[in-house]
Amino acid sequence: MAEKEATVYIVDVGKSMGERRHGRHVTDLEWAMQYVWDRITTTVGTGRKTATVGVVALRSDVTSNELEEDPSFSNISVIQNIGQFLMPDIRKLRDCIKPSQTNKGDAISSIVIAIQMISAYCKKLKYKRKIVLVTNGTGVMNSDGIDEIQKKIKDDNIEFAVIGADFDDPEFGIKEEDKDSLKAKNEALLHKFVEGSDGVYGTLEEAIAELDIPRIKVTRSMPSFKGFLQLGDASKYETAFRIPVERYFRTYVAKPPSASSFALRSGTQREEGDAPASQAPGEGEALTTVRTSRTYQISDESAPGGKVDVERDDLAKGYEYGRTAVHISQTDENITNLETFAGMELIGFVQSDKFDRYLEMSNTNVIIPQRANDKASLALSSFIHALFELESYAVARLVTKEAKPPMIVLLAPSIEPDYECLIELQLPFAEDVRSYRFPPLDKVVTVSGKIVTEHRNLPNDDLKDAMSQYVDSMELDLKDDDGDTIPGLPIEESFSPLLHRIDSAVRYRAVHPNDPILEPSQRLTKFANPPEDLVKKSSQYLEKLMSTADVKKVPPKTKGRKRQRETEKPLSGLDVDALLFQEPKRSKISAENAVPEFKQMLSRAESVDTIHDAVRQMSAILEAQIKHSLGDANYDRVVEGLGTMREELVDYEEPALYNEFLRVLKGKVLSEELGGDRRELWWLVRKSKLGLIDQATSERSEVSEEEAKEFFSAA
Amino acid sequence: MADDSYAREEEGFEEEELDETSFRSVKDAVLFAIDVSSSMLKPRPSADPKKPGEESPASAALKCAYHLMQQRIISNPHDMIGVLLYGTQSSKFYDEDGESADLSYPHCYLFTDLDIPSAQQVKELRSLAEDEAVARDILKPSDERVSMANVLFCANQIFTSKAPNFLSRRLFIVSDDDNPHGDNKSLRSAATVRARDLYDLGVTIELFPISRPDHEFDTSKFYDDIIYKTSPSDGEAPAYLQPDTNTSTAQGDGISLLNSLLSSINSRSVPRRSLFSNVPLELGPNFKISVNGYLLLKRQEPARSCYVWLGGETPQIAKGVTTQMADDTAQAVEKSEIRKAYKFGGEQISFTTEEQQALRNFGDPVIRIIGFKPLSALPIWANVKHPSFIYPSEEDYIGSTRVFSALHQKLLKDEKMALVWFIPRKNSTPTLSAMIAGGEKIDENGVQKVPPGMWIIPLPYADDVRQNPESTMNVAPEPLIDTMRAVIQQLQLPKAVYDPTKYPNPSLQWHYRILQALALDEDHPGTPDDKTKPRYRQIDKRAGDYVLAWSEELDAQSAKMFGGTAATKSTLVKRGPKENPENADNARDPPAKRMKVEGGASDLDDEVKRNFEKGTVSKLTMPILKEFLTSHGRSPVGKKADLVDRVEQYFEQKS
Repeated sequence: MAEKEATVYIVDVGKSMGERRHGRHVTDLEWAMQYVWDRITTTVGTGRKTATVGVVALRSDVTSNELEEDPSFSNISVIQNIGQFLMPDIRKLRDCIKPSQTNKGDAISSIVIAIQMISAYCKKLKYKRKIVLVTNGTGVMNSDGIDEIQKKIKDDNIEFAVIGADFDDPEFGIKEEDKDSLKAKNEALLHKFVEGSDGVYGTLEEAIAELDIPRIKVTRSMPSFKGFLQLGDASKYETAFRIPVERYFRTYVAKPPSASSFALRSGTQREEGDAPASQAPGEGEALTTVRTSRTYQISDESAPGGKVDVERDDLAKGYEYGRTAVHISQTDENITNLETFAGMELIGFVQSDKFDRYLEMSNTNVIIPQRANDKASLALSSFIHALFELESYAVARLVTKEAKPPMIVLLAPSIEPDYECLIELQLPFAEDVRSYRFPPLDKVVTVSGKIVTEHRNLPNDDLKDAMSQYVDSMELDLKDDDGDTIPGLPIEESFSPLLHRIDSAVRYRAVHPNDPILEPSQRLTKFANPPEDLVKKSSQYLEKLMSTADVKKVPPKTKGRKRQRETEKPLSGLDVDALLFQEPKRSKISAENAVPEFKQMLSRAESVDTIHDAVRQMSAILEAQIKHSLGDANYDRVVEGLGTMREELVDYEEPALYNEFLRVLKGKVLSEELGGDRRELWWLVRKSKLGLIDQATSERSEVSEEEAKEFFSAA
Repeated sequence: MADDSYAREEEGFEEEELDETSFRSVKDAVLFAIDVSSSMLKPRPSADPKKPGEESPASAALKCAYHLMQQRIISNPHDMIGVLLYGTQSSKFYDEDGESADLSYPHCYLFTDLDIPSAQQVKELRSLAEDEAVARDILKPSDERVSMANVLFCANQIFTSKAPNFLSRRLFIVSDDDNPHGDNKSLRSAATVRARDLYDLGVTIELFPISRPDHEFDTSKFYDDIIYKTSPSDGEAPAYLQPDTNTSTAQGDGISLLNSLLSSINSRSVPRRSLFSNVPLELGPNFKISVNGYLLLKRQEPARSCYVWLGGETPQIAKGVTTQMADDTAQAVEKSEIRKAYKFGGEQISFTTEEQQALRNFGDPVIRIIGFKPLSALPIWANVKHPSFIYPSEEDYIGSTRVFSALHQKLLKDEKMALVWFIPRKNSTPTLSAMIAGGEKIDENGVQKVPPGMWIIPLPYADDVRQNPESTMNVAPEPLIDTMRAVIQQLQLPKAVYDPTKYPNPSLQWHYRILQALALDEDHPGTPDDKTKPRYRQIDKRAGDYVLAWSEELDAQSAKMFGGTAATKSTLVKRGPKENPENADNARDPPAKRMKVEGGASDLDDEVKRNFEKGTVSKLTMPILKEFLTSHGRSPVGKKADLVDRVEQYFEQKS
């Protein structure tokens, strides 16, 4: 459980906060609120009831606080008492925070109010207490009794921070020229106050700049395995050893916040009273949650639509073995589970320099000795050091809990000055490796089996040199925020772009419901492009590489199948087209061999008439297939035929022939001329994107994109 | 406790393999065409006197088909497979109505129709491959020569009617006859025309040639006329792949023939499907080449359980249909009406669909090189999931292959990696990744095991890195490390590498083994064959003495460092004995005992065992039962009676 928190924000809303200074396009108050909103919405985003927030306005028009009788506490008003902050509170605060008509109100007094609020709310309980004062320091401040206040802050263990607009901060490099003497005096006072209360004093610009750095949620890991690292079978052999260890995550992908499904509330059908009170009018749209319900169907050819619903109670758990359904009775529900017992058993050792890094299949874990067990840590340490000295990794079989499937893991030694552990990660099983074969990259093997080393697909020595120089010139030398070199990869400086973008978008929208979404912060896309100085430095090598490589972009028109025509010969290079030409029967397309014969007829065609004829024949075959289809039996074949026609006619630049046929077909399908209700087929055609050929697909088409779209939607 | 299978849910959308052509369904159909001739049926004895046995080329081919069928049920449960025998005396095919006994394809015997295999078909194929009585009836070569044109057209008809519109359709021909029609011109040209039909239909022919003991298979005699360089459905296949050399030169030995055929067929068991295609690899500003991405490593999980309807004659899978409805009206909601919103501050923060998409959009797909680093900069822990594999494509940029090759060679030679910004497809989340070069690897049969190309390894973001947990640290002194080193040196894996193919996933195999037994009404298969279990006897034999030496040293060092009582205190974690019964137990039975090389059993084990023998396990205390169970990998959760049961089971299994 995270610690309980109580934070009070004191926001200076004095008249002077409404001014824009130093060329900024926002007022001091708007500027300050960027910081305050960010902090508050971060707290709201945790969704924790125990992360509480209170807000106090300083230099407000009205006075409303516990000590309001005392004139030294005037122009201070408590906007929000400490408590969990929710959306209505955000809306209320947004409406309240406006520059006032006065500059009166004492910042020191407001701190007293905040201390009071915290004391009253937290009593003597364990809380993380915090007060943040945001001001431009232009009001009058009374330094009476600050010693006592400082002492109270320290005694109550309150974290105290002052964030000031244009406050001087030599460390950050801010110094306001022509500073007003009152402000200078206030800055000095606040600085002294902060020092005396062990607090933090900062300038607003720095605070705003830091908002850009994504905050990482620290998760405390729980062990995912507690057991033994063991060698040999201790129950059978005297020579087995067992070291008690624990396993924790080293990496684990942090997921972006997930959205839930909602539907628009149907306002008219229900009475107002049913709506949850949280939904304020005018704020976004009224949403209602979406429930899912599941029904089960089996196919039954006698039923209309070929399917009938079955009761959940008539169903047994089971699995598919091929297309055979295998059911498993409740009594042996776990029959297919392999019996296993927890343990990390060593299988053998491998050489670290021979390990292929790409075999890592999973997130990684650390293996540490059992807590509070000196002997275990000594034993594990000898294992870690021995692996390290031998430049070896261990391969082990890991079962994290009884009856869980075994994994094969790699154990690599990790030794740091003050930390030793094994890094553990999963390796693939035989079934996880897919063998796709690819030709070698450093030679070309011809059809006859000859090995060629000079080829258009192989780099010559010039290209290899140019590449080598370019790669060397692009060696990364990354620096972190403090200008120090990052020794390895910039993992600590890279932040999950989606996670932080969604997180900040949600928080931003909560406060600014009518603003458009923001671009991702630059921090998130820092590594989307190579560093500019590196690009500059290596540009001459890149130019050399580009001219040597002579890479040409393929114009979009010539992409695709046409280019392969030359390879449409068997390996021997035999001219099969000539043979086809001799085949007497091939002038008519046969229904059973339609696709190949259609293609061949087109490739032989010497006149447009032949193409027309081929299309006519193919159309007749497809219509017959639809007409004679038992249910959906022939639909896939029809889709294949249609798809082939479409592809070929695009290639032969005769889109009109296809479009004409498809229009006719649509009419026939919808008027049920082809053996009854064939709407399911039409839906399939639509899903397969076999609509009219539009101008984007073929220049010769006279159908616009909208028209092609319309063709389907009007079905 | 954390779940190791978290990756499973993650992937769904991102990892679906790409549907490249819009109208074809992304499925694969493999039809085996196995030549049944007297030379194919002649058993070839083993050349190795230590491993006697014999195997005919035909039965080797059938075993391969059976093996592939079983394997695909696990790996590609929606893909089809069929077996066509040709050159047989009898013929079998279906006519238009799906009935049998049509003689339009003489000497073609469709043994397993092209379909997703059923348990029955698996069984039939197995008996054909293994049971000689069945085989003798069917595997009878015909006296008359079969026409290859007929075989090819028969295959054409099977594909046309059974696997219409599949993205991938492949005909695997296994034969030892490199010239079936000799000089007969008309039969040859008929075959080439039928082969062209298959090509135009989008069927790829893959040849698995088998040499005869006295004759090397020569593809130029006939097969080069019927096999094509590329397939129209996979224009991206970089080039024609040679048949594997060792298969064709299998030296008369039936067993090695089977093995090389198996490895050759395995290497083509799955059609090559890309994960993403023609993504630009950006080497620098304005310098791009195109690459395709593939998933060569992916965790194979058992198919999820489903519901089976038992109301009819045969069990049937029930399909679940999900409807979504609004909570307030209980009316069904169309997908287009659904809005996504985030819970925040007790309410929902919603975005329009366009905004949702815009938030996920970080630019067009790209693999952009940010710079280079030595390979050693990539720490072993910096991993979150399996890698993607990329290989160049000439589709968008001509010259991509040579540039990719130059980069590949440079990175391999200088042991460098590239840091890349990687967006595999539209709207997918960008990752910062390491791109490393991988060399080609060939197995003992000359079959490619790992292709040459580059691997993209997604790196963790700062958000994904967890803090190290507190830990007790006692650095081992040199003498102790020395003794452990001796242990490790004894137990290297073969060639000092991890070879995944040697380790089938035991739980996955067991799952399907049991399903097969249930589906075929077979007996329970007894004990599983688990290749991941360490070889205990070997470990004892080879490393036993060294372990004992290490253990003595450990005791000595630990006595020296922590005193004779083997103190269990840690500097970091303090736990009172009262709060933690396990700890109390430790004090009485210090870890020194458990840590010690256990002379068969520790004191704790002895005590529990004594009680078991006396039948008094139930007299033991809960902490002792729990510790005993935990130390033997058994779950310590439950009531006392359950724990006692489990302890008793443990000893019963042992005896």
